[in-house]
Amino acid sequence: MYQSWPQSLGVVAVVMCGIAAYICVYSAYLNLSLTRDTYYAQNRFADFEIMVERAPETAVFKLENLPGIRQVRKRIVEDVNVDIDGVDEPRIGRLISMPSIKTPVINDVVMLQGRYFEPGEQRVVILSEHFARANDLDIGERFQISVDNKKYSLKVIGVGASPEFVYMIPNVQALVPSPERFGILWVPEEFAETALDLKSACNNIVGLVDDPDELDAILDEADKLLDPYGVFAKTKRENQLSNRFISDEIKGLGVSAKIIPTLFLGIAALILLILLNRMVRTERTQIGLMKAFGYSDWAVGFHYIEYGLILAVIGCLGGFALGQWMAGGMIKIYVQFYQFPILESRVYFDVLTRSMGITLVFATLGALTAAIQAARIQPAESMRAEAPSRVARIWLEYLPFLWRRLSFTWKMILRNISRNRFRSAVNCFGVAISLSLLLMGFFMSDSIEFGMDFQFQEVQREDVKVSFQKEQGRDVLYEAMRFPHVRRAEGLLEYPFEVRSGWRKKDIVVIGIEKDAELQRVMDFDHKVFSMGDSGIILAQSLAEDLAVGPGDTITLEPLMGRIDRVYEVPVRAVAQQFVGTAAYMDQGALSRLLEEPYAITSALLRLESGSRDEFNKTLKNIGGVAAVSFNTDAYQSMQDTMGASMNITNTILLAFAGVIAFSIIYNVTAVSLSERQRELASLRVLGLSIPEVGRIMYIENLLMGGLGVLLGLPMGIGICALLVEAYSNDMFRLPFHIARQTYVTSILLTMSFVFLANLAARRKIRHLDLVEVLKERE
Amino acid sequence: MNTVRELESNTEPSTIFDLREVCKEYQMGEVVVPALRGATLTIRRGELLVILGPSGSGKSTLLNIIGGLDAPTRGEVLFRGDDLAKYNESQRTQYRRKHIGFVFQFYNLMPNLTAEENVELATEISVDPMKPSEALEMVQLGPRRTHFPSQLSGGEQQRVAIARAVAKRPEILLCDEPTGALDISTGQVVLEALAEINRRVQTTVILITHNAAIAGLADRVITMRDGHVHEITENPRRKSVDELVW
Repeated sequence: MYQSWPQSLGVVAVVMCGIAAYICVYSAYLNLSLTRDTYYAQNRFADFEIMVERAPETAVFKLENLPGIRQVRKRIVEDVNVDIDGVDEPRIGRLISMPSIKTPVINDVVMLQGRYFEPGEQRVVILSEHFARANDLDIGERFQISVDNKKYSLKVIGVGASPEFVYMIPNVQALVPSPERFGILWVPEEFAETALDLKSACNNIVGLVDDPDELDAILDEADKLLDPYGVFAKTKRENQLSNRFISDEIKGLGVSAKIIPTLFLGIAALILLILLNRMVRTERTQIGLMKAFGYSDWAVGFHYIEYGLILAVIGCLGGFALGQWMAGGMIKIYVQFYQFPILESRVYFDVLTRSMGITLVFATLGALTAAIQAARIQPAESMRAEAPSRVARIWLEYLPFLWRRLSFTWKMILRNISRNRFRSAVNCFGVAISLSLLLMGFFMSDSIEFGMDFQFQEVQREDVKVSFQKEQGRDVLYEAMRFPHVRRAEGLLEYPFEVRSGWRKKDIVVIGIEKDAELQRVMDFDHKVFSMGDSGIILAQSLAEDLAVGPGDTITLEPLMGRIDRVYEVPVRAVAQQFVGTAAYMDQGALSRLLEEPYAITSALLRLESGSRDEFNKTLKNIGGVAAVSFNTDAYQSMQDTMGASMNITNTILLAFAGVIAFSIIYNVTAVSLSERQRELASLRVLGLSIPEVGRIMYIENLLMGGLGVLLGLPMGIGICALLVEAYSNDMFRLPFHIARQTYVTSILLTMSFVFLANLAARRKIRHLDLVEVLKERE
Repeated sequence: MNTVRELESNTEPSTIFDLREVCKEYQMGEVVVPALRGATLTIRRGELLVILGPSGSGKSTLLNIIGGLDAPTRGEVLFRGDDLAKYNESQRTQYRRKHIGFVFQFYNLMPNLTAEENVELATEISVDPMKPSEALEMVQLGPRRTHFPSQLSGGEQQRVAIARAVAKRPEILLCDEPTGALDISTGQVVLEALAEINRRVQTTVILITHNAAIAGLADRVITMRDGHVHEITENPRRKSVDELVW
């Protein structure tokens, strides 16, 4: 054990990394899912949400009496402009009505600070925590909101949180929370009714059902019932925005919790396998002796398993400590993203038991072949030299013309490689695994960076997007052009539809784009921009996959908003490269003709002169009818800040682990093959080959195997990345399958420098080789 | 690269080695273990010298020092007048490469190389080597030159090792218990090969063994005891291998 301590250390390090990653990811998985489930249950998170134009109270009562529905709550929900003194930037608040007396309701508010409404109170508000903090809005302070061109001043009386907004984003496109720009304003029902002119009516219904499996049927019934009141959207809990994001994250963690330990511990098992097999080979004689003394096959074999288990247990305990520490850090990252009133890192002892179990299984697997080999050794046989492996000529030797031209060193090397195929294969494979691990580590950042660049430089190219509360005629674009500093204006027409293909259906937004749009573009898989044509619809990749359709197929569109009660058949023109969301695109003219609303747009995309943002904001502040204003740079920035930062931490950890493991593998296979060859190397030294000459044979051989390993590792790594794309992609995101050239270069350079480092260690060993000792030992 | 100077005046013309008060101590933890305690000895060019002695008498250490595998702690090891004790590692490597052939108890062949390729190992790094096939003929292994070590018997493997050692045309052939792992008849064939080389090529052969019967082969026999040269006997007549009694 003493002699092979660097290799043993390698096994321990890899097990440690694997278990640490497992504990960290799996605890995060448990922490998040437990917290989510209790939070949802305690605050009665809705099973469904229906958005309507305007439904009277009587309709809501009827809805509550539908079979299968346990309870409903009518609400008023509206996005409003928030005007805080001293802030020019637009802020959007989602106004949500709450009963004026605190009762346990569906989608309840958890009070974190301050108090709930008192009966009769009107212009008071409870703010979502991060929004209040980001905008320095303390209890007792006031700000203004504008609803339907009227301004109201609201007083902050409390700060709260809700299961509905754990992940606080206004829409899918936002992707990451931007706590200062978007928050929730819980207001008394009476105030909301007056301000939005919805006396005894509502525009949003949330409810609970008896059996969530029946949800589809119940929602269909609800749709029929509420049809006269203009149903915009029905959302099941699983599709609720905030819940989708958390649940996808949790699902992703679950996937990682399976992939990471399997990968890392598999590698640890592999190193153990190589290490122990070598130990058995070098300890043949001792094993024979022990057996001659009367130790049973089982006892001798178990010795090696024991050795593996000891290393595994040390690694596992170290990994548990490291993983627990990392889990604490991970929770801190999650707290930035998710607004859970309580989220803490707990120690799960069953996770420790589990990881111990997994480690032991892998360690036993790794040690098994060595143990079997040791058990099979016959005492008498062990005293004789082990029969060398079957050796054959290499193909080059059949080409005497070439073979004769090779230098002696090269002949040696080629013979070594080809006549010891197992060792060569292990060396080569070790390098290949190392390279693919590094590729995988870099790939995650590449992919996200590429996705963000694609989104913000190729697709979403406006400086600011102004969304209107109601549809506008295209003439607002001319008005917009008259704004100071606006250099280009394009309209977007966004309309919700239910799309169907056979039994597959999905609620999406169809986006109408101008024919020669420059500010919002749709691209194919070669990143060529589609020019919008009159006919057909272009689907985002994930939507096309969900509906199982491709170019040439026909899908049906049914408008989700009110008045039009028709179904359209539209041919699919193409599938677009898209990493975010599940939208579909049509020519704006074609879409507005379809909706019989010629020249309508719902938002304006503007390009501004640089540095004119503040002035633009001031001008915009005086314009009514604006629902939301979002600056691309803000979105990009908050993406960078939040997602970028947290991703960087995880990626750095992953990369560090990949590095440790890659080095361990390469060092191990080099060290193992070196100690197998001590005698050969010593013989060469005695014959009069100098240290550099002997070294050269080893190095060139290792480098050749390294090179082959790289060639093998590239497709392996690319394959793993492709698997990751599949494992981590969901409805809302796709990881772009993009590996930067830099990543290839860095991974290969790192791998090869590990090979060099391992060679340096080998060089030291060659230098200190005790020729006399080695050669006097029996073979 | 040859640092060896021509004969100096104080050595006899036929002397190839002149060892004076050679000491070697090994540090084993905190204990200093002496292996040689002032061995003095001359070796003549072209002789077949057998060194006898029980285990621990220092005979292997002496051989390793002569062979440039080890450096003495004190004393002079004059090879044609040049002191090996002052050589550094790379000079010793060059010295081994040019002048020394080694044969060990365990043959130390490369398992991945055929008999001929094993001999090639040595010829590739020498200035004026024999042809590998010629060296193999000398030990009567011509027909088996394409065999791998695993396909050869122990005696045959040892003869490949001898062919590998002599193919460099070394001045001295050092053999450390060359028959130690072999049975009698195989051992005889190996000894025959060594004696033949000594006769035909005039290579100085130093052979260490604890088997006194082998001493009959030698021109001179040196007995070592406790790190000293205990006794030097000159054989009036060298016996042939057949005449040895085991």
